[in-house]
Amino acid sequence: MTSRVTQIRRLLAILGVGAALWCAAAPVRAEGVALTEKDLASVSGPKTDTIAAQGDPGAELTGTVNDVTIADSKKGLTLADLANQAGQNKIAINFVWTLVTGFLVMFMQAGFALVETGLIRAKNANHTMMMNFMVYGLGLFAYYVCGFAIQMGGCAPIANLGGVYPLNGEHVLQLFGKPWGLFGTKGFFLHGATYDVGVMVLFLFQMVFMDTATTIVTGSCAERWKYSAFCVSTIGLGALTYPLFGNWAWGGGWLSQLGANFGLGHGYCDFAGSGVVHAVGGITGLAVAMMLGPRIGKFNRDGTPNAIPGHDIVLVLTGCFILAFGWFGFNPGSTLGASGNGCLRIGSIAVNTMLAGCTGSFAALLYMWMRYGKPDASMAGNGLLAGLVAITAPSGFVNPVAACIIGWIAGILVCLAVEFFDRVPKIDDPVGAISVHGVNGLWGVLSVGLFADGRSNYGGSWNGVAGNVKGLFYGDAGQLVAQLIGISTLVGVIFTLSFLWNWLVDVFVGQRCHPKAELAGLDIPEMGALCYPDFQLKAQDYHLGAQSAAPSGTLTSKP
Amino acid sequence: MRIVGVAIIVGGWLLSVSGLLLTSSTLGRAVLACAGIGISLFGILKVLNGYYLERAIWKK
Repeated sequence: MTSRVTQIRRLLAILGVGAALWCAAAPVRAEGVALTEKDLASVSGPKTDTIAAQGDPGAELTGTVNDVTIADSKKGLTLADLANQAGQNKIAINFVWTLVTGFLVMFMQAGFALVETGLIRAKNANHTMMMNFMVYGLGLFAYYVCGFAIQMGGCAPIANLGGVYPLNGEHVLQLFGKPWGLFGTKGFFLHGATYDVGVMVLFLFQMVFMDTATTIVTGSCAERWKYSAFCVSTIGLGALTYPLFGNWAWGGGWLSQLGANFGLGHGYCDFAGSGVVHAVGGITGLAVAMMLGPRIGKFNRDGTPNAIPGHDIVLVLTGCFILAFGWFGFNPGSTLGASGNGCLRIGSIAVNTMLAGCTGSFAALLYMWMRYGKPDASMAGNGLLAGLVAITAPSGFVNPVAACIIGWIAGILVCLAVEFFDRVPKIDDPVGAISVHGVNGLWGVLSVGLFADGRSNYGGSWNGVAGNVKGLFYGDAGQLVAQLIGISTLVGVIFTLSFLWNWLVDVFVGQRCHPKAELAGLDIPEMGALCYPDFQLKAQDYHLGAQSAAPSGTLTSKP
Repeated sequence: MRIVGVAIIVGGWLLSVSGLLLTSSTLGRAVLACAGIGISLFGILKVLNGYYLERAIWKK
């Protein structure tokens, strides 16, 4: 019986592999086996009576030909049944992979909430936590209404998710004899034909990415942002700014077509979103933080900056671990599948992610230790995140050595950027979000154009250009130019859109809290409740002149 | 000044993109793209930020 089952399994395996290869149009690695309906006539599975009597402790009788769905019981098992089953198995694997990695990315919201809350003073903890909490709902709703349609409304086909063919509307402008895809037009409210299983999976995955971008802004604007302004600002980012750049990079828009239209490598390449997610979030954070101005006490009258320590390093580092965990969804999940079209690179992508985070934290720790004499915990955490942000775009295109280098540079870069924003433009970024996500997001985008090694193959082409993505160091300078144009678009267009939207918010809602509320802490004035009602907060005047006192916001137990 | 800042920022991007049409040389496009990024960053960090720095709370 066992040998019979083994034979059946071998036959099914050959059929499955053959059908999967055919579906994926991947290079054929082995000679195909021609089968006929006659071959199938002799195939039979184990008797159900046998399983009922013995069970299947050795997993030899479960998952056989008996489990193949037969379309017509009168005809019995046909080749069409086997091919359909193989196709559905491939898509099922990809659906499950994309959904589970999407769930991991969703959990990153908790990581961001902890990191940001830990890095601000206790008197604002409820306010910061609630921004991170509601960014999920606000962003999701805006993205559901129109953001998803603008971003992915014309992205079809995506073979790994069964095609998502209802998403076939891209508004294209013909300019200078070239098509410039601007925004998608299908998928508003996920109604009509976009009520489709593949579209739902794609929506969930893209939505949690968008939410990651929106939550970055809450960090750079913490401790002085009016809650109502935050709500309106977030809706704008989720509904318009993020989806637009997402469309240009991922939805078939003009940036992704720079290769096909202008011969620049494979067009703008951003595997998992250093640019689309992190740079968009960081640059929007820059626009709003600039508009808000620094927190009271951040700068002295002569312009010198004061350090305002966070209140809970345990929260910060726990949050960093959660984020590093979630990043295994972020980057490997961006294959949108685990079967077909080169998706088996998910292992390489996960290892690249891990390595860059490691070298990022290591570099930041060493830098701070050498420069200031102590291994700074918050900057080590930011170094980890910087490495992860930077590897996000190149994770699918580079080798592990390059991942280490990219992460290492990111770890140094985040330390330099934090000092730069404090000392030169004097932009107050309480959690370092602009440096971590904005600066390193741009570095990640650039690094694709340098380090992509031309060994990754996702179905034979990328962005409609045949062959593998190569950076400057592997012989394709055009790819670097495509990445530079992507960076220019981020700082030139996305910043401007974010700035203009938030300018409107400033005019009609007002961005900044009243100074009295800021000094008192935003928990009571803005949220109506303290985050830590059972603790007594120290005096708040530390950064208003009395600098020899203990850091404000430090928690002490009530006597 | 904010309008001027925004104009400079967008101008930087237009310069970058114009490289796609003005030249087919990769080096030329790279130079224009870098110049555009530099101009946009100048608009953000110097012009626009300068406007807000003049009104910064710590100067009052």
